[in-house]
Amino acid sequence: MAYLTTYQYYENDGNLPLDANWGSYQYVSLQDIVNNFMLMYAGNHSLVNNEERYKILFHAKRAIQELNYDAFKEIKILELSVCDTLRYVLPHDYVNWVRISLYKDGILRPLTENIQTNWSKAYLQDNDCRILFDEDKNILEPEYSGIDYDRITGSKKSIYLNQGSPFNGMEGYYYGGLWYFDYEIGARFGLNTETANFNPTFRIDKKAGVINFSSGMSGELCILEYVSDGMEGGDNSLITVNKLFEDYVYAYIEYTILNSKLGVQEYIINRARKRKGALLRNAKIRLSNIHPGRLLMNMRGKDKWLK
Amino acid sequence: MVEEGSEKDSSFFLIIFVSKNLQMINSVRNTVLSVLNKNNYGYISPSDFNLFAKQAQMDIFEDYFYQYNYQINKENARQSGTGFADIKKQYEEVIDTFSVTNFLYHSNSNRFFVPNQLTTGDDYFLLNKVLVYTRLLASGTNDALGLGTLQDTTTDFQAAGVQVGDIVGNTTTNQTAFVSNVTPTILTLINIDGTSADIFTVLGEGYVVYDDAIVTEAEKVTHSKITMLNNSMLTAPSTMFPAYTQESTILSMFPVSINTVGAVQCQYIRYPRDPKWTYVNLLGGEPSFDQSQPDYQDFELPLEDEPTLILKILQYAGMSIREISAVQFAQAAEQKNDMDEK
Repeated sequence: MAYLTTYQYYENDGNLPLDANWGSYQYVSLQDIVNNFMLMYAGNHSLVNNEERYKILFHAKRAIQELNYDAFKEIKILELSVCDTLRYVLPHDYVNWVRISLYKDGILRPLTENIQTNWSKAYLQDNDCRILFDEDKNILEPEYSGIDYDRITGSKKSIYLNQGSPFNGMEGYYYGGLWYFDYEIGARFGLNTETANFNPTFRIDKKAGVINFSSGMSGELCILEYVSDGMEGGDNSLITVNKLFEDYVYAYIEYTILNSKLGVQEYIINRARKRKGALLRNAKIRLSNIHPGRLLMNMRGKDKWLK
Repeated sequence: MVEEGSEKDSSFFLIIFVSKNLQMINSVRNTVLSVLNKNNYGYISPSDFNLFAKQAQMDIFEDYFYQYNYQINKENARQSGTGFADIKKQYEEVIDTFSVTNFLYHSNSNRFFVPNQLTTGDDYFLLNKVLVYTRLLASGTNDALGLGTLQDTTTDFQAAGVQVGDIVGNTTTNQTAFVSNVTPTILTLINIDGTSADIFTVLGEGYVVYDDAIVTEAEKVTHSKITMLNNSMLTAPSTMFPAYTQESTILSMFPVSINTVGAVQCQYIRYPRDPKWTYVNLLGGEPSFDQSQPDYQDFELPLEDEPTLILKILQYAGMSIREISAVQFAQAAEQKNDMDEK
């Protein structure tokens, strides 16, 4: 693949979309990775020989997937509106979440994952609690479980100090310049900081592919930051690797092939493994981009006086 | 600045060299007869000689690949040198003289014919590389005729991005050519050797034009793997990483969208042509060598293999006339040769 001219880079040679090549120089394509590996690391005089290209392709993609999960720090962000079902369907390329926020009044409020479940499956039962089946002996399920119904209708209470809290809106007595409330029996010793959050909460139902929110999210905008596996929906032409990780990907492919090949001496496998590990560490340090100019802004606040 | 005289001299030597090279078969035959013809009972007929010559050439041709592999193993064991000591390179050069690159004829859907006498003009010994052109620039049917051109008034070839060097396939006749000039509605076509390619001679023939710059190599996959490969999320064949399987005389390309003439090109090693020592008449009981006969075919092996050819033909000929000493002599000489070249 040839280098782009500046016109191709900025204007995509006049073709739409004009921004197709912006930032592309940071990346090396999957095609280049496989091609370069076959040229430079495989052959009659190399450690890797007589391996099918599809194996190289497989390991290259696996390396890219692994890198996408953490090392790349390439976060995808999707904003969706949460309707009265209090459900946010996970994106098609979702693998894991990084942060889920409520965007309201121009402010991004990071949400807390509920430490308790807020959804459940349910089966229909008769008065004797026997589970009900239809004529085809399929189990009968309600549209919503009890906990789901309460959550969606807003009647579910929350252990968090948000609008679902049992204390929210509770009436008290103003006497002698002080407020008094009727709490349940039992002493309270301070605040449970784990649940002391005013914002709505969420739980992720991975198998169902949805995020279930507490009732406070109805009609609000939710911003999901998540990681994907970099496979770009199976379009090989879009799969890329940051150049800082290019050498690591070659080392990963070489190691995985040598590791699974019969008759390769252990010292050669170890050498490949160490090289792979070292290159990953190097690439992570490079990508973290730690330099004085960046640290300076963080360190400026350290001597600030608290008033 | 090259002087006129020196150009003539070099052409003269070239003619001498080519002429000598072209007559290798005669030299081999003379030597074989000379060795065999002790006491004047070792004569072999031209037809017998041609049979033995074909056999000997094929033996040596096949041996190139074993020798090539042997040399690679020697290189890996650091028992081989570079420069003039690079024996592997010599074998590569010889094998490359049999290398041919041709577009494959399309059969149906994603199936293409392997190179053969009917389609590409050669029988192949080894499919070395199968290339796939994936970017279709234009397609349609021709609506006008002109010598060595493709004409379609309904298409703007320039706007479609067709450039000089791009590949044109006639989907009706399975012929291919290259673009040498582009106007909005007319493409001028040439063959690989630069001669005019008149592949559209009838109105209404289908055509495809592929970008010659977007090419990928297809990988050969065994039948035991191709189904799993097609079902694989990560490694299913794609236009970027295509694959093919072979069954009888058919190559099946994957993904199945690779399905037109002009999309698949193959670089292969062809078999050497059968040598044929030709003659015109008998002079004193001897056929007289005549290389101007239409079916004349010299050996296609390099000159350095002439001694080996002679020895191999001697063995066959010696067996033919029941002269065991000739066979033994040739075998011993060939073995010594092989040992010397290790």
